[in-house]
Amino acid sequence: MREGEVHAVMGKNGSGKSTFSKVLVGHPDYEVTGGTVIFKGENLLDMEPEERSLAGIFMSFQSPVEIPGVSNFDFLHMAYNARQEKQGLPELGTLEFYQIVSTKLGVVKMDPTFLDRNVNVGFSGGERKRNEILQLAVLGADVGILDEIDSGLDVDALQVVAQAVNGLLTSKNSVLMVTHYQRLLDYIKPKYVHIMREPAYKILPVKRTSLNLDKGHLVAVGCMQYPDTRREH
Amino acid sequence: MASCSTFTQLFLPNSPTPSFSKPRFKHIKATTTTSSLPLSDPLVLRIAETLEDSLTTTPLPSSSSLQKLRDTSSNSVLSLSWPSKKDEAFRFTDTSFIKTSQIKPVSTPSVKLPTDLAHTIFPKLVIIDGYIAGSERINELGSGVFVGSVNEIDCEVIKQRVFEFVSEFQDGDLFWSLNGIGTPDVSVVYVPKECRVEIPLHLMFYSSESEDVGSNVLPVSNPRVLVIVEEGGEIGIIEEYFGGDGKGCYWANSALEMFIGEGGKVTHSYIQRQGPNAAHTKWTVVRQETSSTYKLVEISTGGKLSRHNLHVQQVGGETITELSALHLCLHEQTQDLHSRLVLDHPRGTSQQLHKCIVAHSSGQAVFDGNIKVNRFAQQTNAGQMTRTLLLEPRATVNLKPNLQIIADDVKCSHGAAISDLGKELKDQLFYFLARGINAETCKKALIFSFGAEVIARLPDKSLRENTERH
Repeated sequence: MREGEVHAVMGKNGSGKSTFSKVLVGHPDYEVTGGTVIFKGENLLDMEPEERSLAGIFMSFQSPVEIPGVSNFDFLHMAYNARQEKQGLPELGTLEFYQIVSTKLGVVKMDPTFLDRNVNVGFSGGERKRNEILQLAVLGADVGILDEIDSGLDVDALQVVAQAVNGLLTSKNSVLMVTHYQRLLDYIKPKYVHIMREPAYKILPVKRTSLNLDKGHLVAVGCMQYPDTRREH
Repeated sequence: MASCSTFTQLFLPNSPTPSFSKPRFKHIKATTTTSSLPLSDPLVLRIAETLEDSLTTTPLPSSSSLQKLRDTSSNSVLSLSWPSKKDEAFRFTDTSFIKTSQIKPVSTPSVKLPTDLAHTIFPKLVIIDGYIAGSERINELGSGVFVGSVNEIDCEVIKQRVFEFVSEFQDGDLFWSLNGIGTPDVSVVYVPKECRVEIPLHLMFYSSESEDVGSNVLPVSNPRVLVIVEEGGEIGIIEEYFGGDGKGCYWANSALEMFIGEGGKVTHSYIQRQGPNAAHTKWTVVRQETSSTYKLVEISTGGKLSRHNLHVQQVGGETITELSALHLCLHEQTQDLHSRLVLDHPRGTSQQLHKCIVAHSSGQAVFDGNIKVNRFAQQTNAGQMTRTLLLEPRATVNLKPNLQIIADDVKCSHGAAISDLGKELKDQLFYFLARGINAETCKKALIFSFGAEVIARLPDKSLRENTERH
């Protein structure tokens, strides 16, 4: 992936798309046994999850977890100051940070009361996804990995999210979308699409027309090898 | 009039009550043929004797109330033995660290609090190693309010009330009795009828002496407080415990008795932040008359062994009782709350919330919350909830919420929840990590938010802020 590019990863359920994004972010449930990931010249797989985040990887979770007792504002504040510290900049106080956050609320069309609520507690699916994009907007990232950002969203919510993401795209940052619905690609136009193939006994041929990629390129049919099963996905 | 009771003297020169013979410990040990007495624990007798000896070396004036307290406690200790794991009340609580140490009662306490620890914005009473060391701004509490030593009481009415109530509670354990024997003084807080004290009173308990870990010597202090709130009276009390030297060993064995008259209201904040190697055993006994309100918020973070026995007795109906506790184990320590709420009268309302966090693999929390809703406590509304957060593998918690309900027209509920490093917590932790927030900060945030519910119940803003910071 290069700066400024939008990539999409697609495939049927069980093809390993979400696993792929979780591995990139460093989820402890997975152990990488082969292959490399180079991010800005460094081996990403050697870095701890929080180091990867501070290096510029942001993942929007498919099912963001609830954190009762911690408000959205405090959570964002902690994450923001962690980045400030990493960059050798001074930490921001509550009021100064509030100025920054409130400007970003409009991007995801949420009102300020949302900041007082506890992280994802009692949030609908659409609110959780918008919360993820708000975090992306506030914290910034070089690569934003959107793990099934469209799942569980109605048309309106999807439009809001897509518009927000498009608004955050610059020539310097990139987006990697993981999805199995085409409609997201209608809103956020990818330059490249990667397909995770099915297990061998269930290959689904990829039709160019069904992907509606007038301007894009079908680049690769990917392979993830699972050591135990010896199946190609 | 100073009166030193020695082991063989049997009379009290200034007592209004007729003198009665009280067995003394050396006397008991010398007698080998008193088969009518239950077999006394020699360790207990030795400790009681040590405590008594220490009081004779610093003769403080001894009022009749204090004498009564000492006598009752001495009697009760004869049939008590040092608690072991076979006793239900101490099944999960290991007191061997106190038992195997050489107990050294503090008899010459320092006179002043170190200045950096003396700050409070409220009127205060300073008690160092069980001895009253000073007070400030007591006059701001209101006329008729008395705060001070039992020996300094001028008013006859107050003296009588104190004598009536002191050591009325007979259901204590060994530590309760030892406090009665060893306390050099009783701090009395008296609120007259219909007197609403606007500002809270801050009782600061400081332990000045400590010994090094491994020396096997344990300086002990026995602070005691008696609070009497007459009909319609109201007061807020802050009880705070802390020690001087960060890492030293000491034992604070404290007791507070409280009598809330009809319609009276007490908000009680109890902050325990003793040193990490200290032993802290405390009794809080509260007697609530009709329509009285008692609200306790307890924040306990210090001590290697911290045991709080709380007993609330209802002696009239329509009472309101709110008990909140937050216990934190951040290092190798035991935090123990054994509470008992006894309801014998109708239409009482009570809510108990206990939250504890064990963030160390050798940390342990214990909770035994007993609520007795007896036969005549009809239309009682009682709720109890305990929640624990275990943040390290091998962190332990032992919970025993128990309601004993005999009345048949009541609304009672209880619940217990323990969250540990299961999937939910792991997912939460990963969410923080994936946003660049390190594990340390994440744990602090989770601990803080878990405890926030109880801290928010502290009635005074400055106290809340201080606690949050700590």
